[in-house]
Amino acid sequence: MAVIELRDIRKAFGAVEVIGRANLTIDDGAFVIFVGPSGSGKSTLLRLVAGLEDATAGQILIDGADVTHLGPAERQLSMVFQSYALYPTKTVRQNMSFGLEVARLPKAEIKARVDGVADILRLGDYLDRKPRALSGGQRQRVAIGRAIVREPVAFLFDEPLSNLDAALRVEMRIEIAKLHQRLGATMIYVTHDQVEAMTLADQIVVLDKGAIQQVGTPMELYQRPANLFVAQFIGSPKMNVLAVRPDGSALVFADDSRADFGMPVPPSLAHIGFRPEEVQLLPAGQGHLQGKVEVVERLGSDTFVHVGLGALGIITSRMPGNVLTISQGQPVGLGLTMTQLHPFSRDGIRLS
Amino acid sequence: MTGRGVKARPRNRVIVNKTIAPYLFLAPFALFFVAFLIVPLIYAFDISLYKKAMVGGVRFVGFDNYTKAFADPKFWEGVIVLFKFAFLQIPIMIATALVFALILDSGVVWAKAFFRISFFLPYAVPAVIATLIWSYLYGPAYGPIGQTARFLGFEAPDFVSPEWILGSIANIAQWQFMGYNMIIYFAALQAIPTDLEEASVVDGASAFAFATRIKLPMIVPTIIVTVVFSIIGALQLFTEPFLIQNMARSVINSNFTPNIYAYNLTFVGQQPNYAAAISFLLGGVIAVASYVFMLAVNRRKDR
Amino acid sequence: MSIVGKSAHSAKFRRNRWLLTAILSLYFIYTFLPLFYVITAATKSNQDLFSTFGLWFAADFQLWENLETLFTIQDGIFLKWMANTAYYSSVSAIGAALFATFAGYAFAKYTFFGKKLMLALVLGAVMIPQTALVIPMFLMLSNLGLTNTPLAVILPSLVFPPGVFLMWAYIDDAISNELIEAGRMDGAGEFHIFSSIAFRMLMPGFATVLILAFVANWNNYFLPLVMLNKPDMFPITVGLAQLYSTAISGTGGVLLFTVVMTGALVSIVPVIAAFLIMQRFWQGGLGAGGVKA
Repeated sequence: MAVIELRDIRKAFGAVEVIGRANLTIDDGAFVIFVGPSGSGKSTLLRLVAGLEDATAGQILIDGADVTHLGPAERQLSMVFQSYALYPTKTVRQNMSFGLEVARLPKAEIKARVDGVADILRLGDYLDRKPRALSGGQRQRVAIGRAIVREPVAFLFDEPLSNLDAALRVEMRIEIAKLHQRLGATMIYVTHDQVEAMTLADQIVVLDKGAIQQVGTPMELYQRPANLFVAQFIGSPKMNVLAVRPDGSALVFADDSRADFGMPVPPSLAHIGFRPEEVQLLPAGQGHLQGKVEVVERLGSDTFVHVGLGALGIITSRMPGNVLTISQGQPVGLGLTMTQLHPFSRDGIRLS
Repeated sequence: MTGRGVKARPRNRVIVNKTIAPYLFLAPFALFFVAFLIVPLIYAFDISLYKKAMVGGVRFVGFDNYTKAFADPKFWEGVIVLFKFAFLQIPIMIATALVFALILDSGVVWAKAFFRISFFLPYAVPAVIATLIWSYLYGPAYGPIGQTARFLGFEAPDFVSPEWILGSIANIAQWQFMGYNMIIYFAALQAIPTDLEEASVVDGASAFAFATRIKLPMIVPTIIVTVVFSIIGALQLFTEPFLIQNMARSVINSNFTPNIYAYNLTFVGQQPNYAAAISFLLGGVIAVASYVFMLAVNRRKDR
Repeated sequence: MSIVGKSAHSAKFRRNRWLLTAILSLYFIYTFLPLFYVITAATKSNQDLFSTFGLWFAADFQLWENLETLFTIQDGIFLKWMANTAYYSSVSAIGAALFATFAGYAFAKYTFFGKKLMLALVLGAVMIPQTALVIPMFLMLSNLGLTNTPLAVILPSLVFPPGVFLMWAYIDDAISNELIEAGRMDGAGEFHIFSSIAFRMLMPGFATVLILAFVANWNNYFLPLVMLNKPDMFPITVGLAQLYSTAISGTGGVLLFTVVMTGALVSIVPVIAAFLIMQRFWQGGLGAGGVKA
């Protein structure tokens, strides 16, 4: 049970700064997900918390105690690695016991803890096997089991599901969610998959270029992204963005077409963003923008329609169900829900 | 249940952190590396700056030994022998090793594993013993080659004559080291992904074209490394001529190669100071030769 | 069997197969004949060595007599040489392989100040001529009174730079960084991680380096030649070479000619046997080094 605080954490490898002045507080028992594209620094940030990397500057506190200069084990954390990192020469039982043996726990207690965790994770039948005799999902559970037996103050996960196939990934995602409910422990989880982030997290930390872009609940990030990066990173298909100029209470697009905003437009407005579900397809000539259907993607549950607007680019509309009335090449009008527009400044910062 | 953790208990063990650990892992090797490589080199360099005089013992002469060695025809004759040897031996060995590796890798022949292992086995025979065996084979009276020649009515070839000696030594090196290089090329060839082969079959390439046009260029870095090591090995030539000396005193003199020269200067001529200078100069020749080769290779690659 | 091989069971393919197998067979004869000669020579009397054809056995089979002479000349000194060789090469090989493994692990799994410089030094060491090292080493060790002792041969052999490179390449491949980090998260110290997790995983690489170091020492000639001058301390290489020069210079009598070949036979049999038994290791290991290069 732990509150984890990062204060002005910086990390540089030589002259290259990978994390610049990160500040973050992770509440006790929270499930926090670091998400971002590759190279955003999310894994480095996790490894700084773990103690696998030394911070160049700043402090890391766990329950108020400064652990910046403590080694990984002394921080009382457990970690599940992307490759699982199971010890190949040890059996499942030995893999799970190793950390406890290092800490010189009594043999009886080690056995009790390992058996208990194996029970929870349904690993009882595999305890004497070597990792190479296990399936991907079983290896994943051993890795999680090895983390649990140590009864850490917090769990760290580094892209734990990325080596699994799609079906197993969904299954393990649910198992991890249940595990969090059961243990109630603080968990920090790194992923580049925003579906994992949206479904698992209490709090999402979005990173890009070594800086924290926004911290919030999944719905906060979806509904009020703090900047263009977050707006386009969270949500699938991603948010449409168009460059605009304000003109009184109207928006002027790059091709000089206009749309009535219904209220005074903030003078610093430079981009508007709108989710695909806020774009209505209308007969040609109606709505705010005119274009031509370029590609229709039918998922069964949803239909994604990509509409080319010439110089303005492509706008994606999402409609529930299988919409049969739309076909490629058809001219259409686009209606935007003005109240659901996300306004951004020239620098990509959210306005209002 | 979480949070009990595995509380740090008093330890009597020293936990080595990851900053110091690499130095400790390196320490045993580094210690011996310094003691038996760096220190002898420094010592050799130091003694190469002195000279033993007839009277008055040892005195400092600066770089006199080097200027003397630079002008010493006995040293340069040895260097010329080395280069002749290297130009004769290395291309043949590398070419045969490559051809055999490509043949074995292509899988066209029977008994691949048998050939691979038997070609490699001479590497396990000590150079001394390989030289002994071949000098028996070269022997004019008891050597089977001479015997066969005489049986057929020819004169037995004199393998240790001035014309033949380098070829005879190169043959020993070929016998010993071809298989070693072949194994290395073979492993590099085997590491090439099979989908490349599939792609080339789809493209309609023949097995020969695939081997020479696609596989061969892919192991060029490995070939370069083996050639550099062969150059270094060839220029340190010592054991083979040193032993063959026994049957060819007139051809292999006391300065046949620089290494033999340095050995004789130290242990026969009692001139360790001058010998040290000769050894350093040879080290310089080896470094320059390897560097020139790498330079030539890189030039061609850039073109 | 490769795809290209499978692609054509045509007449052309069959002809190539015959042709290439014939070429390899010719080279095999070249590889094998010297070894065969050692065997025939070791079974002959000295007289027959000169009077019968070299590549076939003589009517008079003298192997046992030759072995008897080999093991009894100079009060059984050959046995002593064999023991010396086994002793020098096994101690040197184990030590060299261990040191190379530690060093290779450091190079493969840590970043530290001075790493590049140290790697460059180790690589540069390969270029140094033997004489440049062994002769000053002899002068230094003789000042310390260590020449003519086993240490004079063993200590310098503990430095085996090719082993360091091989282990570096092998460990880099075989042990993931995450595995070591998992050990750190589990609270194990760096040495504990090495001994209880990494070491068993790098055993195949270790075995390769051990074999290579063993062969390098078994085959070593120059170092013991310089360091040792008491015949009962010689390894086989130096001893046999000396027997040979005695034989050829005629001072020890022509009697020794077949004995030298018998000695050669006896000394290469164990190394060749070791190579054949352990081929799984050296083939993989040499490959690792080659591919990395």
